[in-house]
Amino acid sequence: MFRILFCLALSAVAIVARAEAPITLGASVQLTGPVANTGRYYKDAYEFAIDRINAAGGVKVGGVARKLALRVLDNQSDVNLSVRQYVQLLSEDKVDLLLGPFASNFVLADSAISEKYQVPMVQGGGASDQIYSRGYRYIFGTLPPASNYFGTTIEALSRLSPKPAKVALLYADDAFDVAVAKGAREQLAHAGFNSVIDERYTSNTSDFTSLLSSIKSNNADVVLVAGHETEALNFIRQAKSLGASPKLYSFTVGVPSADFRQALGSDANYAAGMTAWLPAKSLKDAWFGDAEQFAKAYQARFGYEPDYHAASGVATVEALVKAIEAANSVDPKKVRDALARVNFSSLYGQVAFGPTGQISLPQTMIQVQNGKVMAIYGAGGALGKLQYPMPAWGKR
Amino acid sequence: MLLAQVLLNGLLLGGLYALMALGLALVWGVLNIVNLSHGAFIMLGAYATYFLFTQAHLDPFLALPFSALALFALGYAVQRGILNLVIRGPMFNTLLITFGLEVVITFLAQFFFSADFRTINPGYAGTNFDVAGLTVPQVQLMAFAVAIGLTLGLWAFLLHSRPGRSIRAVSQNLLAAQLYGIEPRRIYALTFGLGTALAGVAGGLYGTVSQINPYIGTALTAKSFVIAIIGGLDNPLGVVVGGIFLGIAEALTSLYVGPTYTDVASFGILVLVLIIKPAGLLGRTA
Repeated sequence: MFRILFCLALSAVAIVARAEAPITLGASVQLTGPVANTGRYYKDAYEFAIDRINAAGGVKVGGVARKLALRVLDNQSDVNLSVRQYVQLLSEDKVDLLLGPFASNFVLADSAISEKYQVPMVQGGGASDQIYSRGYRYIFGTLPPASNYFGTTIEALSRLSPKPAKVALLYADDAFDVAVAKGAREQLAHAGFNSVIDERYTSNTSDFTSLLSSIKSNNADVVLVAGHETEALNFIRQAKSLGASPKLYSFTVGVPSADFRQALGSDANYAAGMTAWLPAKSLKDAWFGDAEQFAKAYQARFGYEPDYHAASGVATVEALVKAIEAANSVDPKKVRDALARVNFSSLYGQVAFGPTGQISLPQTMIQVQNGKVMAIYGAGGALGKLQYPMPAWGKR
Repeated sequence: MLLAQVLLNGLLLGGLYALMALGLALVWGVLNIVNLSHGAFIMLGAYATYFLFTQAHLDPFLALPFSALALFALGYAVQRGILNLVIRGPMFNTLLITFGLEVVITFLAQFFFSADFRTINPGYAGTNFDVAGLTVPQVQLMAFAVAIGLTLGLWAFLLHSRPGRSIRAVSQNLLAAQLYGIEPRRIYALTFGLGTALAGVAGGLYGTVSQINPYIGTALTAKSFVIAIIGGLDNPLGVVVGGIFLGIAEALTSLYVGPTYTDVASFGILVLVLIIKPAGLLGRTA
């Protein structure tokens, strides 16, 4: 009798234990090192999303609500270390599913691990088309293709009158920026723009004076820069000190981020850029209400404004949750197949992955106007007025 | 015209490069320590000036002496407390220790200052004036002037002042210097402090023309290293020549060959100098 009771009790404990075992999501993120400035957005976004989802009851698998847990390792902005950490996450820490690091070159290397172990990675930090050109089945991404980053910008430019005559294209020598430049080059040619400068520069270069001098002497009207935030900062500061003022310059990164505007102060004005996300009320979300409420709650918790990195990071967690619930399982292969079919509206936008695993979202062209990020041009046409041409530095 | 402008850009940048390398070359020449944490001290100097500017509302150029003083004290203490323990050891040990210092300083900087990008942005930053069709950026020109002034000052200090002569004496012949009553431990700490103070000033100037984050140090150490080798360790003027040479070479490479090749150019020059004139452009040939 006691033996039977004991067994019953044991199995009851087992059931409770199984119900409470959290689903662990693992990620290796840049918390220190040169890219930590953006990497930390992903950790914050993952934590925020997971806390919110857990507070709303967690994830329903097989009729049982299971909580999410997060295991984040710091890759110190080192690609090789991040690869080793993903191996560790899967082989030793036994996490269930993977979230991504920041930046294309990291995702490019790390996705080889998710592919090898056949555990899906949903990442919101790498946009390079190269990530999805290798036929990998276990990598999904919420950043739209790098090759189309300047798409809306170039469309907006071609509607200006008079149409800018000379365009300069500068890009850093890494996976993401090379892909951006390749796409932009084709779109520029297609729209009939004359590229007077098309130069690749070393990542993390701090000196743009030669480039700026030749931009000035070529009288380039529009300068498109695909690079990193530090480079955008140096570019703008040196443009000012050399009195180089094209009619417009646009940067792939930095412009939507709060600390970019903080670092430059009023010199950030007129800088154009792009974002896949703006905190609009119209973006409804199952856990956060809408994007505007999300942005407020995020700012209150972390003390800085979220930009598209954060929203994209949250979307990756939500996509995994949706896929787990649709698959009714945490089995990596089943979740992978469910991910290929997810289609839901979120604070980040409509999340659905194409055949290669990448999302398709339009970029919105933005410009800093009086210290605020304003939407200028989106997929549906003009959203605001572009300040063009920007005034010369001496006349601001 | 474009060529003249690019040469001017290179020249101004070179002055700042020279000041960055000056402290490294001084410490290397006298203490025989290749200070791998030099760039980290430049970074600290940049933050010191940044905080003096944003918190105490001190003009960044007026803040430079204070940053220099703070970095001098730090460098003096680091030499007395840490480096002095291994100064007689093999060079490998000092390399390891300064490398470790770099890691620790960078980590602490991120811990206390966060990874946010900062700029030192006084109202006149970015202003420029035209001379004969060339655009002269004002802050870069001021930074250049400070860099050249400090180099000449250091040169005069080493040649003519009593502590300066002691420093040279210790580096030329330690035993003889000791026989004349010079206490090498004090001189070593003084030299290292001077080196970090120069790094502090360089950092402040760097922050006014570029941007600051905890990770700028490593690249700056590498650059300083190249300049010190090109210029030679014998006298501060060599470092100025090395810095300006490198600044102009990079600017021209960027213009004529392509911006991807600036690093190839600077390290290529380094190799050439090591082959052709190992003591540096202005160094005495052995």
